Amino acid sequence: MTLTLTFDDHLHDLLKILAAEGIRSAADGLSSMVGARITVNEPRLRLVPLATIASLVGGPETEAVGIYLQATGGVVGQFMLVMPYEKALELVDLLMEQPTGTTTQLGTLERSALAEVGNLSASFFLNALARRTKLDARPTPPAVMVDMVGAILDIVAAVAGGVGEHVLLMEGQFLRDEREVEVTFWVIPDPSALAAFAE
Amino acid sequence: MLAVAEGNTHAVGLGEIKLSRDPQDMLVAYGLGSCVAVAMYDPFTRAAGLLHAVLPERIKDAEVTSAKYVDSGVAQLLAELERLGANRGRLVVRMVGGANMLSLKDAKQALNIGERNVAAARVALTSLRLRINGEDVGGTKGRTVRLFVADGRMTVRVLGSETRDL
Repeated sequence: MTLTLTFDDHLHDLLKILAAEGIRSAADGLSSMVGARITVNEPRLRLVPLATIASLVGGPETEAVGIYLQATGGVVGQFMLVMPYEKALELVDLLMEQPTGTTTQLGTLERSALAEVGNLSASFFLNALARRTKLDARPTPPAVMVDMVGAILDIVAAVAGGVGEHVLLMEGQFLRDEREVEVTFWVIPDPSALAAFAE
Repeated sequence: MLAVAEGNTHAVGLGEIKLSRDPQDMLVAYGLGSCVAVAMYDPFTRAAGLLHAVLPERIKDAEVTSAKYVDSGVAQLLAELERLGANRGRLVVRMVGGANMLSLKDAKQALNIGERNVAAARVALTSLRLRINGEDVGGTKGRTVRLFVADGRMTVRVLGSETRDL
């Protein structure tokens, strides 16, 4: 893999634009899902080694929620939305317009709401990519995992083919009125897809 | 539980092998999902080793000693332990992990990596004529595994359950 070599300033700028577009469209999708205005602030973009992710989410044993999809078609990659368990509860409350603290566990309904967040985020994000790159890209159905961060991230490491790899990290906040919930998106693009973006 | 100082806690990251003969030490692999940890311990020399492998089989461009893969990792773990003074005939071998983190309907995405990791570990250990003395594998839950160098005790922790000995 030559991801680090190909990730130059030009590509960084381009991805930043794509990320902003993608996340904005994801927020639009969420807004129509919940019937209220949800916005996302300008995402921060970083390239980080896969091995460091767990420590960024609070350590490998931290209980977290991961929403995982793969992109198929012309753009190949993985898409992971990961947040500490408490944040996931907060996000459910925000989406369902309940006071923070109302949701105390993730049942079927809450899990499918989170799956939908992943689905919308990934779909809108991939659509933005597709528009720019003229490559088609479709997300697989989302899988919601509730477990230790390390365990959730194994799938990403396994599919990426190892641990020496870098992933593209986007951090942003979902905002609804004066409430906000910080979420982190991990996009793990296949190097061939990155090459396509750079052209 | 044995008290282990923070400085004596050695985290074994993805694709790593760690060894110790210091009775103060504890080797730990946090949050194993589909990954597999293989532990080997010689009770006589107190030589302990823990492998945290990600994928079942080494790809041909990878180093033959790579700990990222179960097959090469298991062989490398044994080789390093023997260099550290462990005797193959005395080794207590245990394995943990290989969960399927995605539900059945997502199985295609998961490619059954957990299951394949466990199968690869059995093949690798058998080919090295090593018997598995204990295991906690499969299922759908992530695990943290700890190996105490002083006495070879091994514990497994799953979220929402008591830590238990293996």
